[in-house]
Amino acid sequence: MSAAKPPIALKLVAEPEGDTRALHLLMRQRDSLRPLFLSTWEMLSRQFQPPELEAWAGAVLKLAHVNAGPSCLLAYWEASTAGAMSGEIAPLLGAAQASVEICRNAGAQAATGALKALPAARRVLGNGAPLSRWWRAMERLARQAPESVVPVASRMGEILQPGTIEAFENFVAAGLRAAAGDRRKRIAFFSLQDELARRLITRDPGAVTFTDIEHELKAFLTALWGDVPLLRSMALEDGGQQPQRRAAIAEPLIRLPEIYRGVQGDAARALFQAAAAHAQAHLALGRARFPIGQLKPLQVALVGLIEDARAEALAMRALPGLRRLWAPYHVAVPTTIGTAPMLLARLARALFDPAYVDDDGFVSKGRALFTAALPRINESAISREIGMLLGNDLGQMRVQFNAKTYVVEPLYRDDGLGLWDFGDDPQPTADVLELFIDAVRQRREDNEGPRQEHDPGGTTPAPGKARSVAPNERGVIIARYPEWDRVDAIERANWTTVREVAAHAGDARSIEDALDRAGALRSRVARLVRGVRIGRTVRLKRQQDGHDLDLDAVLDAAIALRSREKPDLRVFRATKAMHRDLSALLLIDTSESTHDRLASGATILDVERLAVALLAEAMNQLGDTFGLLAFASDGREDVRMTSIKGFDEPYDTDCRARLAGLSSGLSTRLGTALRHAGAVVGQTTTSRKLLIVLTDGEPSDVDVSDPLDLIEDARRAAVGLHAAGIDAYGVVLGRAGSEAATRIFGRGNTMLVHRVEDLPARLSELYFRLARR
Amino acid sequence: MILDPYRIGAEPYYQPQADEIATFTAAYQERLPVMLKGPTGCGKTRFIEHMAWRLDMPLITVAAHEDMTAADLAGRYLLEPSGTVWHDGPLTLAVRHGAICYLDEIVEARQDTTVVIHPLTDARRILPLDKHNEIVPANPDFQLTISYNPGYQSAVKDLKESTKQRFIAIDFGYPPPATESAIIARESGADTDLARLLVAIAERSRNLQGHGLDEGASTRMLIHTGRMVRAGLPLATAVQSGIVLPITDNPDIRAALTDAIEACLP
Repeated sequence: MSAAKPPIALKLVAEPEGDTRALHLLMRQRDSLRPLFLSTWEMLSRQFQPPELEAWAGAVLKLAHVNAGPSCLLAYWEASTAGAMSGEIAPLLGAAQASVEICRNAGAQAATGALKALPAARRVLGNGAPLSRWWRAMERLARQAPESVVPVASRMGEILQPGTIEAFENFVAAGLRAAAGDRRKRIAFFSLQDELARRLITRDPGAVTFTDIEHELKAFLTALWGDVPLLRSMALEDGGQQPQRRAAIAEPLIRLPEIYRGVQGDAARALFQAAAAHAQAHLALGRARFPIGQLKPLQVALVGLIEDARAEALAMRALPGLRRLWAPYHVAVPTTIGTAPMLLARLARALFDPAYVDDDGFVSKGRALFTAALPRINESAISREIGMLLGNDLGQMRVQFNAKTYVVEPLYRDDGLGLWDFGDDPQPTADVLELFIDAVRQRREDNEGPRQEHDPGGTTPAPGKARSVAPNERGVIIARYPEWDRVDAIERANWTTVREVAAHAGDARSIEDALDRAGALRSRVARLVRGVRIGRTVRLKRQQDGHDLDLDAVLDAAIALRSREKPDLRVFRATKAMHRDLSALLLIDTSESTHDRLASGATILDVERLAVALLAEAMNQLGDTFGLLAFASDGREDVRMTSIKGFDEPYDTDCRARLAGLSSGLSTRLGTALRHAGAVVGQTTTSRKLLIVLTDGEPSDVDVSDPLDLIEDARRAAVGLHAAGIDAYGVVLGRAGSEAATRIFGRGNTMLVHRVEDLPARLSELYFRLARR
Repeated sequence: MILDPYRIGAEPYYQPQADEIATFTAAYQERLPVMLKGPTGCGKTRFIEHMAWRLDMPLITVAAHEDMTAADLAGRYLLEPSGTVWHDGPLTLAVRHGAICYLDEIVEARQDTTVVIHPLTDARRILPLDKHNEIVPANPDFQLTISYNPGYQSAVKDLKESTKQRFIAIDFGYPPPATESAIIARESGADTDLARLLVAIAERSRNLQGHGLDEGASTRMLIHTGRMVRAGLPLATAVQSGIVLPITDNPDIRAALTDAIEACLP
């Protein structure tokens, strides 16, 4: 080992605790890394000041501490050298932070891969906000699809072809969703072996995916029938050889294919609409579920076909224009080939299209039966009756019917599975099962898929070095706070311990669905937002200058002139835009009692979640700084805080997923939670700091027998917040905790919500009232 | 008489939906203030005009707006060559001489403005004019009516509880389809089929209320569309320019609504 060290390192050795020194010490033991490290360091020290270098060294140490391994460190140094030209240290630190995160979740190889892909990302996205969004998307990928980070990273140039960060985020989201937790499909998608993936990145201008059209479809169906549909896309198909999958109904969900293969542009858009309108017609116009019983596959197919025709006939009575939407797909024509699928398609057309001519005996009979049943078209029983009859006929004609290969025609109709009730009869004939077997298998994957996401077997263990660091279940200790002892009337220092517990990611879609269902409320809150955003100008009277005369001031001035007094010359009116300077922290109680169910079947936590999601959406639109924090406690040594959204974090899908992942449990040590929340909101630099506490009862904890102790402590905590200039408000659910809350927060600062169901509306109103002041 | 210009000559057409005429008549007999609630374009203003005609009362309408001050309602001193002269505002005019005063979209006015109506809407029935140093006792014929669209305004602009609780309320909604198509046919001159179709189209847009639209197409909007068709415009164009384009700017909603309307057309 050479004794010669670069001068800058020598200088900094004097600083005993620094990361710079620690890093240099570490590197002294690594022969293989040292030369490259030194050259990187020299290069960086020409660009940056010592405090910046110190931060960089800290970042490298962090990487080393998660066992990122030498190749990852090398990759980071390379990326740092390349990025140093910009003169900014922040992107480099961000890169390290993200790499640490990726390494934790997906291993060292993945982190190395991501760092190696960085130049490609930087070339396309630049160094600013898009790049940090790129890192976040990579982190998300590492969390949810650890095995896919390396394939994505190695094809980064290709994947970023569309050139925008939105396209990349969309790509990641589409892949995760489409694979529905199936690791094999994910790898196929992210290594671009899948058609959808390739379409997404080649930006085929004609391709219309479910994601592109989802919002429009939802509005379309809502406009047609008034109920908001729950639309989902289906998991990807394995290969391109099978026939296009049909839409599927699993009440109340409608699943549509992610793409319709071979259909482009407006045609694809129309097909999505036709399929969605057909499926929603089933749901909106009353739907029966038929017991599967001992039906033969052919009968099953025919009952489904008649039911489809019945639903469409009903729908077209109210909305005749739907005929134009569906008609183009009915293309069956009379032929001499009498296979069952052909006959079924012709029957479907005959029932749909009165102008269609078909002399076939079977088709004519079906048409006659259906026409005869028209007076009873509101009863779904006719589908079964006619279907059975026709099924027998067709059976006697001895036409070929292969349950394995049968698919419903035309293309826009649903697979028919949602029609059948397998409930009490677990043993339908083998043939019938065959008819559905593909659909059933797919459905099961669709439904159960996401559960496999947390499968630790999915992580790729990098050889030798990396181990993923599991988040500590008990959480990391982040602070200690005093607590007031009411009996002895003293404050006990460092009495309680606050731990940060990582949030479990739930399904962000559940939040979005809940928001959709609360449509009226949501638009009311949206109006609140608009009122605040646009209407917040203050009128100033009697101004020196302005855009308008202040009539009253002018009159006063004229009167003063006539009575030979000195007039006040401030006769103008002006308007000024209000500047909002506010940060709000929402503290959510997730104690065991929030698990109680209300009359509606939802738990208190569900309502809290909806209320918070609604408000968060509003605050996000307003651009207010806000944070979301959940708390529960298990004795004074274990007050758990879960950060759902930090102040500087954007409110994105991840936040919503964390919000959805909240679960009830443990107790309510409110005082400590208040102190901690005060510390969190106290760090913001806005002039107004707002803390809204959402709780469902009085404070309690396992190690305190007299609840009065905790009430008194919380009161002191609230007083302390007030002294620190933080406005704390309590929102209390139900009647139980109202007295305690009034005592803690004061009467004026407490809002009692007796009917828990009212919370979403009341919470947002409270915020807007408070935020206006 | 000073209020003659405010009298309504011919009968304004109004199709009753429920017992709103009886309610209003009873409230007027007792001189109780009335609040008309309901979405835009559902006939609130037409109703009050009809009632003023029916009761043979002058109607003074004030459209409230954000910049409106209490002086704009009550009156102010104006400067004339001879000196300052007090001019009654529209509210004072109605109070002094006896008319129905209709404050349209009251919540648009600022809350400090609306409190001037408080002494008029309880047992006192007076209007204190502090600047003029006068208390105007209400003419026996005077009655106050306000309109208020609870859906449209933001809750920060909501009426104060103390204001709300002084009024008899009549709730307006969109009429049932048969009634609504009759109204459209009469007001726009459209034939019955077209009127029915317009109502079906309106229902599509009302379905989207709260899911992308703040409010669905109003009866007024349908009448306008019907008149456009009568003026010779093809139906699809009239619907596009009379309904779809005015109510939304969101391209997704616009496309969805257009397609849903397409599904209504025969």
